[in-house]
Order: sequence, then C-alpha cells, then structure tokens
Amino acid sequence: MYGNAYIETDGSKVHSILADEDPIKLAEFEARIAAGDKIEPKDWMPKEYRKQLVRMIEQHAHSEIIGALPEGTWITRAPGFRRKLALMAKVQDEVGHAQLLYSAAETLGKSREDMVNDLINGKSKYSNVFNYPAPTWADSAVIAWLIDAGAIVNQLANSKGSYGPYCRALDRICAEESFHLKYGHDNVVFLATGTPLQRQMVQEALNRWWEPIMHFFGPPDKASQHSEILMRWKVKMGSNDSMRQTFLNMYVPKIWDLGLTLPDPNLRKNEETGQWEYSEPNWDTFKQVINGNGPCNKERLAVRRMAEEKGRWVRKALLSKSDEYVTPLA
Amino acid sequence: MKINSLDPRISRAELDDESKIGELQGSEHFQTYEVFQQIKRGTHHQHVGNVHAPNAEMAMLFAKEQYCRRGAAVNLWVVKTADVFVTEYQDADIFETTEDKLYRDPNSYKVMDRINAFKARTNNA
Amino acid sequence: MEFTERHVEGLKELLYKMADDLLIIGHRNSEWTGLGPMLEEDIAFSSMAQDKIGQSLALFELLHELGESDPDTVAFTRNAPQFHCSQLVELPIGEYDFSMVRHFFFDHAEAIRFEMLSETVFEPLAMVAKKFKGEIKYHTMHADIFMQKLAAGGEESFGRMQQAINDTFGLALGLFEPGDYEAELIEAGIFGGEAELQQRWLDKVVPLLTSYGYMVPSVDAVEPAFGGRRGVHTPHLQPLLDEMTEVFSIDPGADW
Repeated sequence: MYGNAYIETDGSKVHSILADEDPIKLAEFEARIAAGDKIEPKDWMPKEYRKQLVRMIEQHAHSEIIGALPEGTWITRAPGFRRKLALMAKVQDEVGHAQLLYSAAETLGKSREDMVNDLINGKSKYSNVFNYPAPTWADSAVIAWLIDAGAIVNQLANSKGSYGPYCRALDRICAEESFHLKYGHDNVVFLATGTPLQRQMVQEALNRWWEPIMHFFGPPDKASQHSEILMRWKVKMGSNDSMRQTFLNMYVPKIWDLGLTLPDPNLRKNEETGQWEYSEPNWDTFKQVINGNGPCNKERLAVRRMAEEKGRWVRKALLSKSDEYVTPLA
Repeated sequence: MKINSLDPRISRAELDDESKIGELQGSEHFQTYEVFQQIKRGTHHQHVGNVHAPNAEMAMLFAKEQYCRRGAAVNLWVVKTADVFVTEYQDADIFETTEDKLYRDPNSYKVMDRINAFKARTNNA
Repeated sequence: MEFTERHVEGLKELLYKMADDLLIIGHRNSEWTGLGPMLEEDIAFSSMAQDKIGQSLALFELLHELGESDPDTVAFTRNAPQFHCSQLVELPIGEYDFSMVRHFFFDHAEAIRFEMLSETVFEPLAMVAKKFKGEIKYHTMHADIFMQKLAAGGEESFGRMQQAINDTFGLALGLFEPGDYEAELIEAGIFGGEAELQQRWLDKVVPLLTSYGYMVPSVDAVEPAFGGRRGVHTPHLQPLLDEMTEVFSIDPGADW
C-alpha cells in the first residue's frame, strides 16, 4: 500500500546528474527502456536511476510494514470469525508484501538492515496515510477499501515500469491486493447498509479519512518538481494528478452509491472534460505530517523500534558467524 | 512521553515515543536463500523469490509461508544466494545463434520435389 | 453404538475445550502481527495464528450442528467463567521465548489430540481432524526447528528458553485436565482420554527437548495448572475477552 508522492528528481539539475554517465551506455539503457524491455539487477544503470529506484521501492516496503500497524490495531477486536480471519490474512499479506519489496530494493545494493535502520531513525519516508490513527472499526474498513484501492491504482501503473525485480514483486502484490479490495468493500457495504449506528460509524470514518486519501497521490503536478526523466526511465509511471483522477473516477461513484457523503462540497465530475473537480486539499498539512508531525508518526516509529529491540536476542541467537551476505539476485 | 495508543497491544507495551533504542547493529544480518517452488508433480521447479534466513531449515519454513501460504505447491527447494552461479547480462550474446544453422531446423528438410522427380524419371524409363 | 445423553455431553465438553483453546491461542498469537523479531518469522507466526482460529471455527461449527448457538454468538458473547480454555493459552504473549515455548507445548498436544481423534467414531470430528493434519504438521515442524536453534544460539538464548520451559511446563500440563466424561468418551470410542494424551505428549516432547539440550521438569515435581476446563481462569482471560468482543458487543445483533 503506497502513494506515489515522494520521489522527485530536480528537473533543473538533470544535466549535472547525468554529466558523468557514459553517453553510449546511457543511450543503450534508455533505448532498452523505450523498447519496453526490463532492466535487471546486474545491468549497467545511471546512478540517479539506481538512487531513485532504491528510495521508491524502499519507501513502498516501509509503507507496507508501517501500514500493518493501524490495521493491526483492530485484529484483536474484529467482530466475528469471518472478519477476524480476513483481517488477519490481509495484514499478514501486507507484511509479506514488505518482504517482497525489501528484497526487490536489495537487488540494487542496499541491505535490508540499512533500510530498516533508516526507517526507525526517521531518515526514510513511508506513505503519509499511515501517520493517522484508526479510532474505530469503521476506520479499518475504510482503509481496507479506499487506501488499498489507491495503492492498487499506483501498483498497477508501476508494475509496467522498467525495473524487473520491482515489476515481479508488484505482479505478485497486485494479485493478493484484489482480495483486500473485496474485503474492504464488503466491510464498508455491511456497515453502510447496516444499523444506524454502523452507518454513522462508517460515515464519520470516511469524513476523517477523505483528506488523507486526497493526499495519497501526492501534491498536484503543477506544484511538483519536474519528473520527466523519471517518466522517461519508467520509474514514475503516471503523474500524481492522473492517478488521483483515475481513483476518483473509479471510487467516488461507488461511495455515493452507498448513500454515503464526502466532506467536499466541490467534489463533482465535469461531464464535459471528464475530469473530477474538488477542493484543493491542504498541502501544508501534508508537508507537516510527512516531515514527522502527524498524529501517529512518533508512535509508528516507536513501535518499530520496540519490535526490533525485543527481537534482537532472537536474531543474535540465530545468526551464524560464517554466514556470508550477498546481494540477492532477482 | 508514554504512548497512549488506540491499539491495545501498543498501550500495554508502555512505549516511550522518544525512545532511541533499537537500531539494528551491523551483525544482525541473515543471508538470503533463493526459493524454487514446484506447483504440481511433473512440472519444473520455478524461482519465486527469496527469503532472509539464518539456516536452510528456517529458509524452508519461511519460504512455505511467504510463497506457498495460499497452497498450490507440492515441493520446495531453497538454495543459498551465495551458491547460485550467474551469467552476466553483458554476455547475453553467447545465447544468440546465427540464423543460418538450417541443418538444425526441421523445416529445412524438404524432399517432396526430389521424390516426385525420381518417380517421374523411373516411370518414364 | 447409540450415543446416550452423557456421551453427547462429553462430546460437547471435548469440543468446547478444544475450540476455546484454539480461539484463545490463535488470538494471543495474532498479537505478534507486525511486531515479530524477523520479517519472515512474523509472516509465519501470524499465518499459524490464522490457522488456529480457522480450526476453532470448524469446531464451533460442529458444536452448532450439535445444537449449540452459531459460532459467532458462542465465541463472542460468553464471559470468562463460561470459557473452557486452559490457563496456558490465556496468558499474555510476553516475550518471544514464552510465546515460542507455549507454541511448542500446545501444538504438539494439539497434533496428538487430533491424531487420536482421526480414529473417533464421531465421523464429522474425524473428518475435521484429518482435514487439519497438514496445517498442524507445519506448526510442530516450525516449533521444533525454533526450539532446537534457539537452544544452540548461545548463553542468553538458551537461558531464556530454559527459563520459559521451567515456567510453562506446569501450565502445559493443564491442557490435560481430566473432564467429567472421560470414561464415557473412552468407552464410546469418541476419544481416548486426557490421561493417554498426556502420556503420548510426554513421550514426544521430553525426548525432543532433551535432544536439543534442555532440561525438562519432572511431571511429579510440578503443579499442573488445572481449573481452566471448569471455568476457573487467571485474571488475564476476562480482559482478553473484553477486548476481543469490543466491537461485536456494540451490537451483537448487527451484521458485521
């Protein structure tokens, strides 16, 4: 589960970024990508490509593991066997996705250990949306439906990107996410069509989550720095706005279909342009939260640190001195 | 400051949100194992990914859950990544074959004309 | 043979204690999700927790067929004195040493219990026992490998695990608390009884643990933690149930 928002290459610095790359190799590399071929771990690649990919895949991995926390909050309290089992399976899948993504990022030369350290000391980012709390059961339902839906829009696009290991991980992830989406939707439908109390619970959750969901795809295109090079290299597969439009087009009608409202009076589809219009979300809030000042940032990282610390004795006990770590293959 | 979480498990843990403990130390790294899964008898094992594990038995345990928890496997192999010998992509040209190795191509063996000509010759004789 | 009322009561008692054990241990083990010591192990442990809850559901469904209420109602509306789980499973997860030792002790008992039940005359239960054989095989495999490797992992690891074994052995013996219908179950061929189960369990786990280098307390030297089967629980169960039923009890009649 991940939003596309945080990878940027400063377009104005492209020349200096590529300055000391071998022009012949660079041309071959770009031709391969343009032809729809995949780049594999041991291929030659420009330093910027490697750097941005590691950052992107790493952030995606962190998002999965951190994302397990607000949802995992409700596992012990899930109402009934069916929901309990499904939520356990879903959250477990997310942890499994983190594993696949860390492995994909590792093929680029950064060890999982370094990535985890960067997470717990706050250097690496993860999807903003998980810095918010899930105060009720209905919040977990809304997350499971709409955040997963957003993530799928992103993941489907990225699965057509240029880096082999990331694409393969995403194919596997997309297959499992389809269950998540069904589960989430099913859950929201039961609440929305249930008792007045259930309806109220899910409506309030939706009201709380709408702004984070609008933030999910990142700042508007006109406010982002140039990402042409990342698009050319098929690292970034779609603009933030276009992904957001895809999401709105797919899911707002479904939300309204359930008789639920959204807390944006300006939200509507312009039938002539086919584009969704909406009130611009507060991007200052977004910046605040992503830089560590959201409601749950400290808690999320403290929990990860605790988990790592409590598990230390286990890892130390199992580690063998003769183990030789090498970069994973694919 | 003690964390008061919405997650009862976290509240029970009485965490300090400013805690700086718990950075991974350099020595806590497992090696990886590549995982090969056989979906059903009679088919080849296929590479599906890797697991980080301290030994082969645990690699197997982890591979079963990470790659086969939805069933659909009858057999698994795990191999240390360090033991896998790989070719370089820049040497991919060794796999290319020139097109003029017609002697290996079943379609290059055409004898109908020869047979017909022979029949025509021997009938007229 | 025809089942008398006592046979049916005995069968239900057996199913309740199994279903309650599995639900509570599955619930406890799910508390590790996202917090495990290693990523891949986190996935494996939470997968096994899911299996346990699925097994619990299958047994509650059998109970439903025998006239008890539906699984959700039975599982989510009883209070601690009405639960028949052992005290072993209701304790908090503690650290990984305790959870792993509990996993080892419980899962071997479960494996043997299901093995015995695959011969039961009560056909629906035999089918359930056979259905879960593969899952449980993985669970005990997992437990054995971890117990072995952690014993060999150095002083701190061995010390923690040995301590956990010492602290947990008596609790584990509580799994075999005799019920009120032991004789009936044995004579009807429904179940071979807790005494046989305990013996088979000891024959399995003691040699295994010894081979890994651990010391196992003597059965005679330890007080078994009885009471759970009769609704006498530690202070930990009610808070667990309160948490587990928090959302369900907002409206038990609602469709969630």
